[in-house]
Amino acid sequence: MSLLALAPLIAIAVVGGVALVLRVQRNRQLVLLGQVVETHVSRRAAPSILYFTGANCTICHTAQEPALRALATGLDASVQIREVDVASEPGLARRYRVMSLPTTVVLDAEQTVRHINVGFATATTLRAQLIEAGLPVAA
Amino acid sequence: MHYAFAIMKAVPFDRSVLKVNQVILMVGIVAAHVVGLAHNQAAVVLPVLAVMMLAGMVSPQLNAPRLLYLHALKPWGIVRPRVVHEDPAPHRFAQLLGGVFLAGASIAALASALVVAWVLAWIVVVLAFLNFAFNLCVGCIVYAQLVKLGVLPLSRASAA
Repeated sequence: MSLLALAPLIAIAVVGGVALVLRVQRNRQLVLLGQVVETHVSRRAAPSILYFTGANCTICHTAQEPALRALATGLDASVQIREVDVASEPGLARRYRVMSLPTTVVLDAEQTVRHINVGFATATTLRAQLIEAGLPVAA
Repeated sequence: MHYAFAIMKAVPFDRSVLKVNQVILMVGIVAAHVVGLAHNQAAVVLPVLAVMMLAGMVSPQLNAPRLLYLHALKPWGIVRPRVVHEDPAPHRFAQLLGGVFLAGASIAALASALVVAWVLAWIVVVLAFLNFAFNLCVGCIVYAQLVKLGVLPLSRASAA
């Protein structure tokens, strides 16, 4: 069989390889679920969100930030949403294995990682995740 | 927070236009490849599809799949609209990526590197299939990775 006829298989192998790399990256991140990454941070009163962003991240500024603002208006003041610029705090981004922007990490009051959202996460999704992480439903 | 440009909200976006685009790509490339196994001239389809993809990026009026959908497929009831509210920017980038791959395939075909040309074209087919069948937009993922790396020449005006 000529190489030309094998072009589809070669293409599938290339795409499969890239998918595998992305999957491995994602799995390395999912390992963090249920763990406390920042052991030096003390227990908080409520779940919190770490929002990883960057200066050139258009989706961050045009979609994720409006969603976080919409979420924040309905939350108790004890719920913290902390914006992290990956350029300014690369160590923190590495500890959370941030591979794409925006990334939002939902932490419970014990600072345990409960959810990691790669890409845009809606206010509805984040609110449901905060509730699952211990946010009182009435908040 | 203040921005020097208007924040784009999620807009109504008909995903059926994407589906029509993906079907044209898949059918066009697969058919051309089959013919191309016997006749190298079939590679002429590659620059045609590249122009189709890239022209659609320039203006919606030049988006051939969109025009086909709006003026024929939708009014004739062949394809139903699927309107969602989302940011179309990642999908436009995915279209750009497809156009660039096909342009690269065209250049490879011109240089008689037919295996390279068809591998690049089939990568577009695989990605189009993933998006068509599973709504998996690999171009959108690449978009996010490139934005994170600061490779994309996207910039916004300085924050006020």
